[in-house]
Amino acid sequence: MSNEDVEAIPPSSSPAMLDETTKEYLFSTDEGTLSKASAEAQVPTAHLDIGPEGLSFYNMDLYESRERLDIFTEELSSSRTEDEQFTAMEDSNESRPRTEEEEYDLYTAEVSEMARQYGIWDDKEDMEMGFQTQEPFVMVTQKQEPAVQDIKTWGEEPVKGEPKERGAGEKRDSIHKTPAVDEGGSMEHHEPCYPSEGDEPQSHEQYVGQRQYSEEAFKEEEWVEEGSQAMKASRGDTQIGEFVGFSAKTQEDLTMDMDNPEDGFRASEHTHDLEEGQPGAQAGGEDEVPDVFCMECKIAIRAFDKVFGSHKDHQVTKLSIAAEDTKVEIHKTMCKLEEQIAQMENFASHLEEIFITVEENFGRQEQNLEQHYNEVIQTLTQRYEDKTSGLEDEKKQKLEKLYSQLVNCGKTLDISKDLIEAAQEICRNEDKLAFLQVAVPTVERIEEYTASDPDLKLSASLEFENDAIDFSDVRQMMDSINIVPAPSAPVINPQTPNSSTSTSVRVCWSLFSDDTVEYYELYYKPVLEGTTADENEEQDASMVKVKETYCTVLNLVPNTQYKFWVTALNTTGISPASERAVYMTVPSPPVIKKKLCRSCPNAALIRWESGNTNPVDSYTVELCEISRERSETAVTESIVGIPTYESVIQLLSGRSYLIYVRAVNIGGPSERSDPVIIYTTGTFFRLNEDTAHPSLAISEDGFTMFYGDEYTELNDITFSDNTFSRCVAIMGELIPIRGKHYWEVEVEEHTEYRIGVAYEDTQRNGYLGANNTSWCMRHVMTPSRHKYEFLHNGSTPDIRITMHPKRIGVSLDYETGKLAFFNTGLSQHIYTYKCHFLHYVHPCFALEKPGALTVHNGIEAPEYITFS
Amino acid sequence: MSGTPFLTAVARIITRHKLYNIRLHTSSYTAMALTQVSSNKCFDGFQKVFEHDSTELKCKMRFGIYLPPKAESGKCPVLYWLSGLTCTEQNFITKAGSQQEAAEHGIIIVCPDTSPRGCNIEGEDESWDFGTGAGFYVNATEDQWKVNYRMYSYITEELPHLISSNFPADSERMSISGHSMGGHGALICALKNPGKYKSVSAFAPICNPMQCPWGQKAFNGYLGSDKSKWESYDATVLVSAYSGPQLDILIDQGRDDQFLAAGQLLPDNFIAACTEKKIPVVFRLQQGYDHSYYFVCSFISNHIKHHAKYLNA
Repeated sequence: MSNEDVEAIPPSSSPAMLDETTKEYLFSTDEGTLSKASAEAQVPTAHLDIGPEGLSFYNMDLYESRERLDIFTEELSSSRTEDEQFTAMEDSNESRPRTEEEEYDLYTAEVSEMARQYGIWDDKEDMEMGFQTQEPFVMVTQKQEPAVQDIKTWGEEPVKGEPKERGAGEKRDSIHKTPAVDEGGSMEHHEPCYPSEGDEPQSHEQYVGQRQYSEEAFKEEEWVEEGSQAMKASRGDTQIGEFVGFSAKTQEDLTMDMDNPEDGFRASEHTHDLEEGQPGAQAGGEDEVPDVFCMECKIAIRAFDKVFGSHKDHQVTKLSIAAEDTKVEIHKTMCKLEEQIAQMENFASHLEEIFITVEENFGRQEQNLEQHYNEVIQTLTQRYEDKTSGLEDEKKQKLEKLYSQLVNCGKTLDISKDLIEAAQEICRNEDKLAFLQVAVPTVERIEEYTASDPDLKLSASLEFENDAIDFSDVRQMMDSINIVPAPSAPVINPQTPNSSTSTSVRVCWSLFSDDTVEYYELYYKPVLEGTTADENEEQDASMVKVKETYCTVLNLVPNTQYKFWVTALNTTGISPASERAVYMTVPSPPVIKKKLCRSCPNAALIRWESGNTNPVDSYTVELCEISRERSETAVTESIVGIPTYESVIQLLSGRSYLIYVRAVNIGGPSERSDPVIIYTTGTFFRLNEDTAHPSLAISEDGFTMFYGDEYTELNDITFSDNTFSRCVAIMGELIPIRGKHYWEVEVEEHTEYRIGVAYEDTQRNGYLGANNTSWCMRHVMTPSRHKYEFLHNGSTPDIRITMHPKRIGVSLDYETGKLAFFNTGLSQHIYTYKCHFLHYVHPCFALEKPGALTVHNGIEAPEYITFS
Repeated sequence: MSGTPFLTAVARIITRHKLYNIRLHTSSYTAMALTQVSSNKCFDGFQKVFEHDSTELKCKMRFGIYLPPKAESGKCPVLYWLSGLTCTEQNFITKAGSQQEAAEHGIIIVCPDTSPRGCNIEGEDESWDFGTGAGFYVNATEDQWKVNYRMYSYITEELPHLISSNFPADSERMSISGHSMGGHGALICALKNPGKYKSVSAFAPICNPMQCPWGQKAFNGYLGSDKSKWESYDATVLVSAYSGPQLDILIDQGRDDQFLAAGQLLPDNFIAACTEKKIPVVFRLQQGYDHSYYFVCSFISNHIKHHAKYLNA
């Protein structure tokens, strides 16, 4: 690097710029074309390894770099042996930085990091522009980086890029050394930052740490970007050059015109040469750097162009803003793509299901077919055998008959011949008398014989009997081959957990595996109390047709039982109905009665309404603790199986909780109710207006009570059993927890009041403190002074207070049996009752004269109350 | 005059090793020799009595000190207890039953004697309500008494210094209480030294000594007949001049206290003055109780809690 160049760069920004060049590698690596050799030649390997991470930090998705780079990293490490000689060469440089690293102050690192980040985006813009504006020589000079890197990366063809690379390098040597100067420079300045290979993992971490830190810093310190404009000026053309170089290189890769592998090593030597030979190169492109972004052409341009060039009338914006915008846009696009991916995945799984179903169905069909054909063939064979044996029998029978006829025929013939011979012999007799004597009986015999006609008919018929073969049944069988049997009744499944919502249920059933079903008919109707008869069931039942063996039935009534049954159908017919299965919709969510919820530091009482007309099985209460640094409110605890409409939940003090209630029936839990927020800071209760004396008015927020001046005719008032009828008093509703409670009451100096606690069933027609079911501090004005009484059972200790409390703290501790009163303004302890509270007590407030009291709730008990 | 950090540190180390009788030198109290008179384990701590040569009183003085178990491991706040007429350091430590509560709250209780002893002043042993056992916690100005009867300085200066130098006591956290004449002493010490004592309480205190026979006799004897001098030792008068950090005064008074009826104590005057001056007082008139230590021990735990609230805040 020439001295001039070095001086031209502001000292503070020089590391940034150097990082800039580093980043360029990373970017190129991203594109998959850089390889390690050049990186090693220019920056320590550790740096390269960092690269992918560093890049991915900003926009890994954009370039899909992570996977690729992971691969790269592996390859790099595997090819490290090959590179040892480079390492060795660089060791002299690289071993040094470890120590200097510490000397690098954080700030410098930040600056460099910021520049790095920017560079990535700048690159992107520059790239596009590079084609248009850059001078060719820059491309050539820069080409060496990607090429050499490539060699390293593609371990199996280590040499491929190399000759070109070298060529490029030579070219660069011979032509200009312009952009390479940056790299050379970066080498020198950079080394301290990145330790040698041996220290890689460690340095890596460190580096990442720095980077994250600097990213934060980066946002606040935009000025660095502006401040390093000069630096960017030189950076810009480097980037462009590199990009062009990369594309050129890709082509080289494709053409594969590579030399033999050994050259790979020389490449590094060569790059080394380059490093050394780089000084003086930087100058060229300093004023070529795009520094603004043309909104209309969507490219980065130089401000100069904005003023004079083709972008003259175009709207421009700062590069950083443009980069941000683009980033945002890309993120949007990515989000869209992610959605699409999700959709496609869903669709794919659906297709898979269908695929399987179709496969199964056809398999079943084939089986069916085979079975039927086998049946037919069997039948035919049987028929053939029957036929042939029938024919055989018939043949035998007929032949036998013919034979016997033949025999008979021969016999007849013989007899006839005998008769002729006998006649001829008689004729030859000359003695007439003798002749006559003999002839007459012979003639008679002949006549007698001839009188019977010989039987010349065939005794066996020549016709085949039974020649018509009946194939009708076979035909029927043949016909039936293509007809599937009607399915049998499906089996409906019982309801499974979480299969229903308040308005829908998911019903499942199954079929017998050899049934072929075209679709199902699912019938349902609500189960009505008292109607047991199944008659007419089908009539008023609703029905849905489904292809699947499940169906989500919508628009049902919450917390209701439904009867479901299903029939299967195919072309042949309809199956019998399945058994009836009862499914239940889950209840509607309960409604928390926020006004009736109370809490204390270690518990809360939650009350709710069912939200359903029918009773549900139980309720579930869910708690989410709200922490200050929370990102989500995960349910931290659930209390299940609550049969009533309220529950006391143990909590930790000083926290905030969101509490939900779900109603549960057989079908499962309902949706969550609206939450109630409980702060376990101090005790929280509300006044029970049912107990309020008729003269007592309660403010809208429910915490201030007024005893007005106007005279109320008591006779006109009807008192309920729960109302204080004598003492103008009201009772609060304390959470029934035998723990510690604390609340405060704001009073006026001249208000005459009674403040204390009482059992819930304390006499409503008595005065607070006048009986053994109530304890109270009483303030009255005597003509001479303020008088304070601490009444229980009508008696009080004699206590005098010189300062009149404006706010009274009341501390109730069941465990120690103490009820204490404080002047909170002074942290002054006034009085403590010691008594064992047999039952739960509730706060009580009474006014003896017109005035007002305000209850302050949810206050953390001050520490001093423990010294009472 | 507060001990140098070095000395404090040394004192701490020494205390750790239970070597209390060591001579320490400071700017104003040059020689302080502590001699342990007794030591008894009590509620895991120790109730001890020490004797020392008082520079203020120019005589040997004894004091009781209760060291709670917590004092083994760190500095503890100190409650000074001032006893009443005729008492020595023994009354409180044997009768009040303060140790349990003190152990619980980690409070050191220091009980000094009620007057110089054995000074051979004419008339010092003549009556029970003047002279020996009746120092009235004033710095005497009358010639006869002014050398030895400097109980006010002894209580507010010498003794705290002695304690913080020799024991693991936090000199920043002090409270004061007392009974009868000691109640008077506690009130005036607190009212005359705003901020020095974190809290103050009293049992049946002599609230307005200028108006009662005891007080008039003592003040006349120690301070002379100039009543304007008396005012600086009268709690009821001091209240109206008080300005300083908020006080929270707790007073217990037995209703059947014969000295209340005799008009020696006059709490109403004090309460009226405090009401006027808006100084917070809780005054509890305890039904049926008299002036004895039975009364004191009935409510001592309330008082120690009252002090603990401020000492351990």
